[in-house]
Amino acid sequence: MAATRPADRPRPTLLLLAAAALTLLTLHIRGAAPLDAFQQGVRDILEPLRTVTDTATDPIQTVWNGIFGYEELRAQNERLAEELSRLRGRSVTDDADRELLERLLDEVGIDYTQLDTIVVRILGTPPGNFGTHRIEVDAGSDDGLTEGLAVASGAGLVGRLEQVDRSRSTVILATHPEFLVGVRLVESQDEGLARGTGRGTLRIEAGIRPDADIAWNEAVVTSGGRSLLPADIPVGRVIDPDESAEYERSVVIDLAADLESLSFLNVLLAPSEADPLGDTRK
Amino acid sequence: MTPRLRVLLVLVTAVALEGTLLDELRVGGVSVELLLLVSILTGYHGGPERGAIAAFFAGLLHDSIVGAPLGLHALVYPPMAVAVSSLELRMLRSTPVTDGLAVLAAVAAGQGLASAVGMLFGVLGPSTEEFVRQAILAGILTAVVSAPVNRVVRWAATGGLPGTIELRRGDA
Repeated sequence: MAATRPADRPRPTLLLLAAAALTLLTLHIRGAAPLDAFQQGVRDILEPLRTVTDTATDPIQTVWNGIFGYEELRAQNERLAEELSRLRGRSVTDDADRELLERLLDEVGIDYTQLDTIVVRILGTPPGNFGTHRIEVDAGSDDGLTEGLAVASGAGLVGRLEQVDRSRSTVILATHPEFLVGVRLVESQDEGLARGTGRGTLRIEAGIRPDADIAWNEAVVTSGGRSLLPADIPVGRVIDPDESAEYERSVVIDLAADLESLSFLNVLLAPSEADPLGDTRK
Repeated sequence: MTPRLRVLLVLVTAVALEGTLLDELRVGGVSVELLLLVSILTGYHGGPERGAIAAFFAGLLHDSIVGAPLGLHALVYPPMAVAVSSLELRMLRSTPVTDGLAVLAAVAAGQGLASAVGMLFGVLGPSTEEFVRQAILAGILTAVVSAPVNRVVRWAATGGLPGTIELRRGDA
């Protein structure tokens, strides 16, 4: 048992440390660059070690996932099988929908697939247990990536780069409650600011006129403009237009990209002509 | 080797392990909170002041590898180390089971507190249920690995000397 020594002054020490931590926290949240550089340095030092460990522990990880991830994998398989049969049954409707979407995208000149992209592989979740709705990918600043770039799959928007180290980056998923993106409804042409709900959907919180004519299943794309994310990346479809709203519409969007079964992603290298002051990042 | 160097060595090893091996071995998406465990155990074995200082640096390292704003975990870990140290002084008896439960509770509290501070500063969304699940699971996982870590931290904080030295009058 460790007795408190006479020299121990826990209270003043604790107060000093709390003040130091609060100062660092405030500076970091306000965007002090040296603190970012310090953190990035620590992660970059660990990076080679992480790569070696990733490779060395692959067999252990496989066994581990077999033990602790079996039920999850089975549930995912069942869900995918169910989804597949549902999609097969709806193939005709989907073809019609796709045709409609393509026609709509053509009408508004959407061409996000023409942007330069870098293909990245998903490594898993970032270390530790701080927060959710984030994934790590295997490319970083050495590959030309920078913070804020849009990340998409073939189906549409997945998220954006939140933290970029030399050879790894963290993606904040579009479903994260802190994820904000400017969106445009393709048919009604209304624009608004959408936020992740933490449950696989996004909610347009502001910008939609109360009397806007929004259809169920209406396609939603990124609005671009003053946002750093390029315009016209498919986001999803409206699943609740909130028609009964009296004051402010709260439209719910079902994300087009399936975040459960991703392996590779595209980072969109957008031309840097956006106005940083208009960035919707928080 | 001085106690400071030993604690530094333990912190560096812990950050390397937490960022690599332990990150690969997750249960329900949750991994072991090794740096929080080292903080708590340093408070337990090394006393409140040494524990608080070690916990502060452990928090800074943790912030760096998990990508949290610098200072967030450094704000949470020192009070946890001091609290565990104070509780330890008040405990009359301890058994491996009570020690394990105490580690579980302390880690869950530390993890929960860090999430609460993250929410307070607006860097985490209000997913309270998920944070509670994470905190409890992290507490359980960390308690499981606490026995070997305890030995290492005791060596680092006390230099292998017994915490209590009983003084007796010699009969001979």
